[in-house]
Amino acid sequence: MKEKKKTMTKNDDEEVPFPPENLPSPSVSDYEDSSAHDGESSDSLDSQSESEFEDGSPDNGSSGDLESAENESSQDEDIVNDGDGGNESSDIHQDGAESDSSEDEVAPRNTIGDVPLKWYEDEPHIGYDIKGKKIKKKEKQDKLDSFLANVDDSKNWRKIYDEYNDEEIQLTKDEVKLVRRLLKNRAPHSDFDPYQDSVDWFKWEDAKHPLSNAPEPKRRFIPSKWEARKVVQYVRAIRKGLITFDKPKEEDGPYHLWGDDSGSTEKANHLSYIPAPKQKLPGHDESYNPPLEYIPTQEEINSYQLMFEEDRPKFIPKRFTSMRSIPAYENAMKDCFERCLDLYLCPRVRKKRLNIDPESLKPKLPSRKELKPYPITCYIEYKGHEDAVTSISVEASGQWMASGSSDGTVRVWEVETGRCLRQWEVGEAVNCVAWNPLPDIHILAVSVGQDVLLLNTCLGDEEEQKRIKELLWVDSSTASDDSGNKAPTVSWLKDDKHMGLRLRHFKTVTAVEWHRKGDYFSTVMPADILFESVLIHQLSKKLTQKLPFKLHGLAVRSTFHPSRSIFFVCTKKSVRVYDLLKTKLIKKLDTGLREASSIAVHPGGDNLIVGSKEGKMCWFDMELSSKPYKIIKCSPVDINNVIFHRSYPLFASCSDNCTAYVFHGMVYSDLNQNPLIVPLEFLRGHTSSNGRGILDCKFHPRQPWLFTAGADKLIKLYCH
Amino acid sequence: MVKAVKHYRPPGKKKEGNAAKFVTRSQALKQLQISLPLFRKLCILKGVTPREPKKKFKGTHQTYYHVKDVAFLHHEPLVEIHRAIRVHERKIKKAEAKKNHERATRLREKTPKPKIDRIIRQRYPRFVDALGELDDCLTMVHLFAALPASESKKIEVECVHKCRRLAHEWQAFISRTHKLRKTFVSVKGIYYQAEVEGQTITWLTPHSLQQVVSDDVDITTMLNFLQLYEPLLSFVNFRLYQSINLKYPPILDPRLEALAADLYALSRYASANTRSSVVNSEVSQAESEQAETKLKEAETGNETSELRLAQLQHQLPSNEPGALMHLVDEVTGEDEEDQDTKECKKLFKNMKFFLSREVPRESMLFVIPAFGGIVSWEGEGAPFGESDQSISHQIVDREAQGHRFLSREYIQPQWVYDCVNAQIILPTESYLVGRTPPPHLSPFINYDEEGAYIPDYAKTIQHLQAAARKEILPLPGVGKEDLEDPQNLLVEGVKDRAEANDAAQRKQKMMILEKQYHDDLKKELQGVTYTSAGSKETSTGVVQLQTGESTSNVQENVDDMGKLMLSRKKRKLLEAMEKSIKRKQAKNDLVKHRKKKIDEAQGQRS
Repeated sequence: MKEKKKTMTKNDDEEVPFPPENLPSPSVSDYEDSSAHDGESSDSLDSQSESEFEDGSPDNGSSGDLESAENESSQDEDIVNDGDGGNESSDIHQDGAESDSSEDEVAPRNTIGDVPLKWYEDEPHIGYDIKGKKIKKKEKQDKLDSFLANVDDSKNWRKIYDEYNDEEIQLTKDEVKLVRRLLKNRAPHSDFDPYQDSVDWFKWEDAKHPLSNAPEPKRRFIPSKWEARKVVQYVRAIRKGLITFDKPKEEDGPYHLWGDDSGSTEKANHLSYIPAPKQKLPGHDESYNPPLEYIPTQEEINSYQLMFEEDRPKFIPKRFTSMRSIPAYENAMKDCFERCLDLYLCPRVRKKRLNIDPESLKPKLPSRKELKPYPITCYIEYKGHEDAVTSISVEASGQWMASGSSDGTVRVWEVETGRCLRQWEVGEAVNCVAWNPLPDIHILAVSVGQDVLLLNTCLGDEEEQKRIKELLWVDSSTASDDSGNKAPTVSWLKDDKHMGLRLRHFKTVTAVEWHRKGDYFSTVMPADILFESVLIHQLSKKLTQKLPFKLHGLAVRSTFHPSRSIFFVCTKKSVRVYDLLKTKLIKKLDTGLREASSIAVHPGGDNLIVGSKEGKMCWFDMELSSKPYKIIKCSPVDINNVIFHRSYPLFASCSDNCTAYVFHGMVYSDLNQNPLIVPLEFLRGHTSSNGRGILDCKFHPRQPWLFTAGADKLIKLYCH
Repeated sequence: MVKAVKHYRPPGKKKEGNAAKFVTRSQALKQLQISLPLFRKLCILKGVTPREPKKKFKGTHQTYYHVKDVAFLHHEPLVEIHRAIRVHERKIKKAEAKKNHERATRLREKTPKPKIDRIIRQRYPRFVDALGELDDCLTMVHLFAALPASESKKIEVECVHKCRRLAHEWQAFISRTHKLRKTFVSVKGIYYQAEVEGQTITWLTPHSLQQVVSDDVDITTMLNFLQLYEPLLSFVNFRLYQSINLKYPPILDPRLEALAADLYALSRYASANTRSSVVNSEVSQAESEQAETKLKEAETGNETSELRLAQLQHQLPSNEPGALMHLVDEVTGEDEEDQDTKECKKLFKNMKFFLSREVPRESMLFVIPAFGGIVSWEGEGAPFGESDQSISHQIVDREAQGHRFLSREYIQPQWVYDCVNAQIILPTESYLVGRTPPPHLSPFINYDEEGAYIPDYAKTIQHLQAAARKEILPLPGVGKEDLEDPQNLLVEGVKDRAEANDAAQRKQKMMILEKQYHDDLKKELQGVTYTSAGSKETSTGVVQLQTGESTSNVQENVDDMGKLMLSRKKRKLLEAMEKSIKRKQAKNDLVKHRKKKIDEAQGQRS
């Protein structure tokens, strides 16, 4: 097939090159197929049209494949034309071509009518002629022959096989043209003009005679009565007002709207009207030609990409060398729209913009110079402990200082020289140490694990020593008596190793606090619940009492009133104040803290401070209220201890961020005057270890000095 | 057992607190029985904004309106009118569906129109109130004046034209009464600031280029605003025009209008209208008028050609009653003018400008007359041509020039704006064509603030201003022409700065010395303690430390200590303040840093 096409295009000399896609190739293939099918039966049937095609082609003789059997003149005889009958047929064709009108004479080549061809597929004949003879089918050419014939024939592409009549038709040039026009959806005849001018065949003008010759009627010249009536009707309706007209539209232009300004100053609705804030005025950076320093460098612009979208600057300054090069601002519409949204969708709130110096917010505090003396600088470091120093205590005279450490030692230092006087190995980590407040009784209470040791420090003269030894002597029989009487809360034992007493508790003791008279002391076991977490011991009688109150919450610390028989128990959330003589609750102070860690009472007795693990310190004025008078947030981490100075108006706190805060805390005797609190100094110097900073701090009893015990194994003394 | 509902309110008991005072938007819609778009429109027109109740009882994501605001909308006749409009639209639709076009058009004509004037009066009871909130109005109207009308975006041609007209009328008024104070050419457009009746009004006009209406903008919202702003501006214009005795809807020369020189036409209208009275009274002493120089302001202006005047006068009600009154008004008006206005009027006096084609004409035609200059442009309808010998300045933005006149200066448009902002005539050298002009600075920046960064050019301008104000010559024995020489002045500025720098350095040195001295003193003191402490030391592992904290550390300590005693609220406030100060400082530092870098780079190059 391909080959064929090629030849066709080659041989196309008289035609415009036929585009291969326009080829009626299906019909050609049809033809080939059918020729293959009925190759053996060749009925010599021919048509007039066939002959027409034939004569269009000058070199028809060579087309051997085309069976053109003519029975134009003699239809009664069956002529079986073979391949060699080509020449004859061409002659006959020429005859036929002359008589185009002789179509009627042509015998029906196919007499089967409208019957499907399929029925005759296997028959050698196709229908019958007028005499009742079978009309034989044309003999089919074999493929090779037909192919050879096709190759040679340049007109081959024009041939179409007509299956119904069982013949091959060659299209003439005109017919091809016609087909092409049809393919292009044009009128088949080239002569046909689809856009011809319309001709008005009937001309009205210049017509000699009118269509109607009737004279003009009278009614054309007189006013219509009915119209007049209608008019009258309308006029009456208008007069009566039944019909109204649209008033001419009046353009309501501007007028003097604010005629009298004076009267209406207030708004109709009484809600306060807040005018919209004006838009921010542009700065240098929005100029079309800003100073060079306002234009970000390329690196800065690149770095904007790394920012979060909301942080990114919305406007990047640009520089244009002349005004004519400024482009249109692409966001003009959007900016305006956003302003509109702000105007009608944003709630308007009048906000006071403080245009003040931030310094003025800070309260006016008295100058620190006036509040001197207070500890400022680190003066002495006491080195010797091998682990964090958990607790320190200063002797009443201020000459000695005891310290307990988690390495299991208790040391006594001389304050002024820093000499380590004595050392006890207690075996366990020391929780708390406390000197007896009486200057002549040099007893040290040390809480070690579940025990409280009362140690004789061997200071003082002979007489004092004797008294101390008496105090620290315990009869083992009495001890056993105690244990026999009731369930022993605490057992008083003799401690031979350290020459003292051992009070055995059944829970870990965290805090020991002496009464001012040196006879009583209290211990706190926070692990215990309810009653027995706070105990009061009497040294002289070797007695132990439970606190006769129910505690709410876990006790953290306890302390005695500096002058009266009042006892403070600090639980995690609140501070309870008890009268020990009347055995009743006097006051409950609400700290509002999450977890209190320490408590200290002002020597006056009416004020106390509570430190907490969230870094807050509450100052309570008990005369004032049960709520804190002031809460000072001084450190971001735990406060470990708070302490008042005994004589100076100072108090301090120490916390885990290695800082001790020293405050001036003046309490006036005039009850109307609130206590004055002034922060004075941050004492730094300790280093953190294991996340813990300063574990304990104590004031010197007579000097404005502060001892701090750090987790870094050091004790420091800060002096004024 | 019935579980009590949270916030249970027993029947018959009224709501209390915030729940009684505020309603959410959806509740408001339900109460008003209107659609959301209409509600929005009403809010825009009536100026009702959401409120911020203390307690948001329906959640934080809701918008709350005050009950009184909703009632205020409820009583609004506009609601009724909009309902009527909706009904009407339905009728039109029906008529059109029935192909009854006549009825449809008739109905369309009869569509009720909402009236805004009452609302304007309600929102702005006094004229001053309206002026005070004119910023957004002007910006919007100027933007719409520059927009392309488009069917799909519902921007109608009439709307654009009206905006254009209103904007020009406003500009003509400002220009004529010399109320303009500041101008600023930014990337976003040109900012103008005027002072009318004590109100500072700032507005932005887009650059006269094709504006793009982006799709992410809800144009209906903007049109709603415009529905309010258009009449507002026309009422304001009416009032303003009346205040200078002009008939308000001005009648313009159609020829100029066709040439899109509306502003010029308006100014001509204004001057001609006042002049008509002047001419009537002064007809006897008519002077010989120059034929061609037509445009003059009222005070200079008896020079308008008779021909033009006649043309205008047949449109204008020429013989108004009380022509003399006008004259009197003019005189009194001049007396009332404040100092600023007088100064502004004089700035470009006796200067004649000519604009080349590439210069933004509208802006220039607005600005230059506002400061007393005379201006013409290249093109038809211009009052005078380029060849006029009396032109003193020609404003060009391009290097290519045909014929250069020696009698005039060729300057870039930025010069005009900078002069206006500085309120002095700046030297033209650096603004000449072909040179890169000095930076254009924003006039809205206040340099008084402490630590504010002042660009170099601002300093130069300040220097020039000072020189102009005091009429003091920069150097004795030097002519006045030197004052206009920027190089000289720049050098002066540099000298001054150098001096200042020197002084600062000296001061710093002194400070350092002083500090050193103090430190020494301190060390001495501490040394004494050191020795005294050392004597007490024993061998038991006691180490004495001296902790001399640096002064800065102490200062920081003091600061922190003050903070300790603050209440939480104040502490937070303080922290916020410190943060904002820091941010501002950082911004300033960045600019300074860049400046330093640029200076260094320049130093290396030279």
